[in-house]
Order: sequence, then C-alpha cells, then structure tokens
Amino acid sequence: MSVIDITYGQLLMSLIFVIIVGIASVRLQLDLERDIFWGTIRTFTQLFMIGYILKYIFAIDNLYLVLFVFTGMIFFAAYTVRGRVKEKSIPYFVPTFLSMFASYMFVTIVVTAFVVQVEPWYKPQYFIPLGGMVVGNSMTAIAIALERIFADIRRGRDEIELYLCLGANRREATSKITKEAIKAGMIPSINSMMAVGIVFLPGMMTGQILAGVDPITSIKYQIVVMLMLVGSTAIGSIVVAFIARNLCFNKAEQILLK
Amino acid sequence: MLLELIDISLTFNDNALFSDVSLAVDTGDLIFIGGPSGSGKSSLLRLLNRLNDPTSGQINLEGRPLTDYKVAELRRQICYIHQTPVMVEGTVKQNLLLPFAFESLRGFRVPTDETLIELLHEFKLDDIALSDQAMVLSVGQKQRLAFIRALLLQPKALLLDEPTSALDRDSRLVVEEYVERLAGQKNLAILMVTHLDFKPKHMKARRYILKRGGLEERAR
Repeated sequence: MSVIDITYGQLLMSLIFVIIVGIASVRLQLDLERDIFWGTIRTFTQLFMIGYILKYIFAIDNLYLVLFVFTGMIFFAAYTVRGRVKEKSIPYFVPTFLSMFASYMFVTIVVTAFVVQVEPWYKPQYFIPLGGMVVGNSMTAIAIALERIFADIRRGRDEIELYLCLGANRREATSKITKEAIKAGMIPSINSMMAVGIVFLPGMMTGQILAGVDPITSIKYQIVVMLMLVGSTAIGSIVVAFIARNLCFNKAEQILLK
Repeated sequence: MLLELIDISLTFNDNALFSDVSLAVDTGDLIFIGGPSGSGKSSLLRLLNRLNDPTSGQINLEGRPLTDYKVAELRRQICYIHQTPVMVEGTVKQNLLLPFAFESLRGFRVPTDETLIELLHEFKLDDIALSDQAMVLSVGQKQRLAFIRALLLQPKALLLDEPTSALDRDSRLVVEEYVERLAGQKNLAILMVTHLDFKPKHMKARRYILKRGGLEERAR
C-alpha cells in the first residue's frame, strides 16, 4: 500500500487549525476555549488509545477477544440509547441490549463470513470496523424507534384504550404506532442510499481511497456497508419496536406505560 | 348473578382509593354511582372490564372470576364507554365496525348497513351518513356513535363513565332516554357513573355513593 505515514511533527502541524479556532473564540468572546482545549486533548488520547488497542487485538487475532470487544461496543451502544430515550417506567434496557447483540452479531457475521469471505470470519481487522459501523448506525435507529413508540403510546393512550375496550389485543391496538416507529427508525438509512456518492462520500470509502485502495474496490466495500446498514437498522428497529411494544402491556392487556 | 364484587379494594401509589366494596349486579339492573371527584368512581368501573385489577378482593362474572376469562372476550361482554368519546380516523361505518376486524370477534356476523342505519335512526342521527368522516362530528354525535359501536358487540353489561357530562342538552337527553330504554328492554345491566342527577322516568335505578373509601346505597 502506498499510504504516506504521518510523523509526530506533521501531526502537531495539524494543531494549527485548533489554534486558529482558539484565537477566534477569544477574539469573538465565544467562550469556547476550554472546550476546544479539552476536545483536542481527548481526540488525541482517545484515538491513540483505540489505535493501540486495535493494534493489540489485530496482533492477537483471538475469537474470544474479538467477541468480548464487540459485546462491549454493543453494551455501550445500548447504554447510549438508554441515555437518549429516558424512559423510566418500562424496563427495556436488558431486552434491548440482547436484541441488539443478536441482530448485530447476525449481520456482521453474514458480511464477514459470506459476503467478504474473510478467513477466519472473526478476523479483527474486518470484524471490528464492520461491526463498529453496524453498531454505530443502528444505535441511532433503535433510539429513534424506541423514543417514538413510547411517546406515541403515551400520546395515543385514549385510542389504544378504546381498542382494548372493544376487545382488541395489544397488537391490534398499537399496529399503527408500531409501524410508524419501525419506519422512523429505518428511513434515515434508506435515505442515505439515495444520496450516497452524490451528496456525500462515505468516510469508510474515502479512508480506503486515501490508504491507496483502488476506488472500484473501495466502492464495492461501501456498497456492502450501505446494504448491511439498511439491514441492521431494519432488523434492529423491528425487533426492538416489538419488544418495547410488548413491554408496555401486561398479560391482561393493560397499559403499563406511566 | 351477572356481576359480583366481593370486598374490592384499590390502592394507587400507596393511596387507598376505596376498600371492601361489595356489590351485586343482575341482568336488567340500572345502577348509578355518584360521589365526589377523585373518590375513584371511574377507577371502580375500570376494574369491571379489567382495564385495571383490584389490589384485593374478587370480581365474578356469572359465577366465575374475571381472571378466568380471556380478557378480550371479557371486554366485549362488559363494554366500557368513555366519558369523552374516542373516534378513530375514518368514516362512521369504519368506526362502527372497528371491532369486527379483531381476532376476538372472529366468527361474529358483521352487521349490515341496514342495521347500522337503523341504529343511527334510533339515536336520532338520521342526518349522518355511514360514509361521513367520524372525526369531524360533534361530541354529542360521537358519543351516540360510541353507544352504537358498543351495542353492536352485544354486551352483557355496559359501563358508562359520565357518558353525558361532555354533551350538550339535546345529545344528553337522547343518550339518557336511550339508556333508560336499554335498561328496560334488553338483557343488559348498566352501571353508570354520574354527576348530574339523571332521573329515569320509567325505570327504577339503584343509587350508590362512593365516598371516604366506601360504597353506600342511597334511598331511591
């Protein structure tokens, strides 16, 4: 590969950008200097840390280590989702985490084992970045679907109760709401299929091109990634929406959501 | 005995709404439940079709505990009508026939347009067509549609939660007149939570007051 390595001296040169921003912040009294400072420090330390961790994981090339790291990523994704959804009355964290785990594992394994045909399928250099994209993208989809379903059940309480009073079960009483929540989760990844290559060049593809990979090879990877993300956001939104919907009712078809 | 409430208590967030309430309801009964707001009148009604369950005590339908019934089937038989009528997006006909798409009503004969039109007429809704949008109707018209929708399910009991409190005088009179007729003619028990003093002309109603956590019968 013909990629030019960046020396530490060259890396420090890129600080020029944050210095400009820092000066602008002082002169315009934006009061952002502290954030810029800490943001820069964190960018350096966090990325160096993950760089060395990945280097270590790639070197060891061990199935259990890869699964451990992937599980950790999914756990933090589920945790982030919980922070965003802020629903207190329904215990959805564990089921959400488990269904995220099952669906992301499935999608990532299909991509590495069958589409890209990596040997072995868990080769960390492929599994971790591809899995990471799956987790990062569908995490947002799952948060949207969950927020939507809880908000709509709460807002549509009277109508849901009417359905229940007339002899509907929870599926019949919430079919519209569940559908809308799943769609809300899926739409962003479908929309990005429309815009890719014209409105934006995806980071993964540009990264590969910078690393000296043939553009045709890199767009093939990007196509796999786009379709993989549509699949994982769809599976994630559907599974989580149904689980969350079921958790909002008890056996006697009473609404539990407060 | 159609419905039997035995020593029912209900507690919400450590607040006892009422306790040891007992009541027997027979087919053909017309029962009014009054009492100050917040005394738990609506909550009491909601226990009868299991929108909620009592904290303690037992409720029987025809001798069997409510929990023995499939909840969807129970709710069809013990039909609850909300204080403010709820209509869904769609036509009058779609609203009236809504429950007939549910699993629990599979095998039920879907009422014909003639039946629906006849019922609209009985509720003095002749100026409404089956193809009209239900959402744009007045509250009074919607509440009468809610009654028709409930009656199409052939319930054994109707639970009415202040069904006339949101209505104008005309709609209220139509609904009250019909409640009275229903109570007298059909094989049906009616339990009605009410603030306004509705005095049926031909029917005798049993009146109860729910206050200070207990249910007391009032002289007629």
